[in-house]
Amino acid sequence: MNDQWTDRLSEYLDGELEAAQREALEAHLGTCAACRATLEELRGVVARAKGLEDRPPKVDLWPRINARLTPGWQPGVSRDTTVRRFTRRVSFSVPQLLAASIALVLLSGGGAWLALKPDAVAETPQPTATTFTAVSWPSRTDKAVAELQEALTRNESRLDTATVRVVRENLAVIDRAIAEARSALEADPASTYLNLHLANTMRRKMELLRRVNAIAAARS
Amino acid sequence: MSPQVLEETLTADAEAADVALAGSGDATAFERLYRTHVARVHSLVRRMLDTDEADDVTQDVFIRAWRKLSTFRGESAFGTWLHRLAVNVVLGRRKSVGVERGRFVTHEDPLDGVSGRGETPELSMDFEKALARLPEKARQVFVLHDVEGYRHEDIARMLGVVPGTSKSQLHHARMALRRHLGGTDERPMD
Repeated sequence: MNDQWTDRLSEYLDGELEAAQREALEAHLGTCAACRATLEELRGVVARAKGLEDRPPKVDLWPRINARLTPGWQPGVSRDTTVRRFTRRVSFSVPQLLAASIALVLLSGGGAWLALKPDAVAETPQPTATTFTAVSWPSRTDKAVAELQEALTRNESRLDTATVRVVRENLAVIDRAIAEARSALEADPASTYLNLHLANTMRRKMELLRRVNAIAAARS
Repeated sequence: MSPQVLEETLTADAEAADVALAGSGDATAFERLYRTHVARVHSLVRRMLDTDEADDVTQDVFIRAWRKLSTFRGESAFGTWLHRLAVNVVLGRRKSVGVERGRFVTHEDPLDGVSGRGETPELSMDFEKALARLPEKARQVFVLHDVEGYRHEDIARMLGVVPGTSKSQLHHARMALRRHLGGTDERPMD
């Protein structure tokens, strides 16, 4: 095997040789079976590397990570306040839609109340972080939500009456929260908290619609 | 909007919301980001370092991400930002630990003892084992270039070498690994 050429095979494979070098190497490949075979092997290595699958750790690392998070890291924000404000969560698990509806009422109603309560807004941590605002959010998301709602209308016949009623009630609650948040944002468009509240409420609406449509699809 | 585009839109928007919420201190939103990205981060770390370090370093990556979310400006996807952060943590660890295991590929075959080809479901795992046997610098260049898609100029900057060294290490790593694919039993280089 000619090492002069072998050492350039990776660069050739990656398209990094200049034209003259590439032509010279290609001429050599035409006459050297060993270099052609090596080139194919290198091509196989590259393909294998690109096809490697990611695997999660064998143990769940989240509990240890969570234990090391410091919610009060933001300057001027007390840890207790931050923890208290963000520890509630609603999960729309498929078999527990009814329970989710109750939690949603509490969460969305409470969130809207917090959003509209002047003192609460004033206490809200102001992330220097995020450039995300609802201004960049609505159009495509609204379209996606509209399509999901249309799908739900089409799929309703596949769901039992009780489920449809619960879903409709949930959506009504969420829509009220969205409307209130948008109304509040008109008065205070720069409010980070209101933007986050709106974004989170819309995300919950999308999650609910997706879940319900998935249930309906599973029953088709 | 096609179902695929719809799904991508929803996923991107949900992640954008989670990034925003996590940036405000919402650990639950951050957990969702962790669940989404942990496999990719852990795989990167595991391939670039020793396997027994992967869990600890992956934790460090996510702790660092939590603390640095204030620097994420949304100019790239969160996953891209997190991935780059993971690379920096890995390379920073190599420096801070002060262990110089980064010898270059030598004339000895670094993959002695690693089984050869076999069309089995374990083939990918064997390739990972072979990868883990490479000298550290060659392994890092290979992972960054061939697995993660970084350019030589970027790799050279991250590792503090010239691009030519990165190219040379990549070639050496590929030559060493090709035997694992069932190629020649010759030395990987002269």
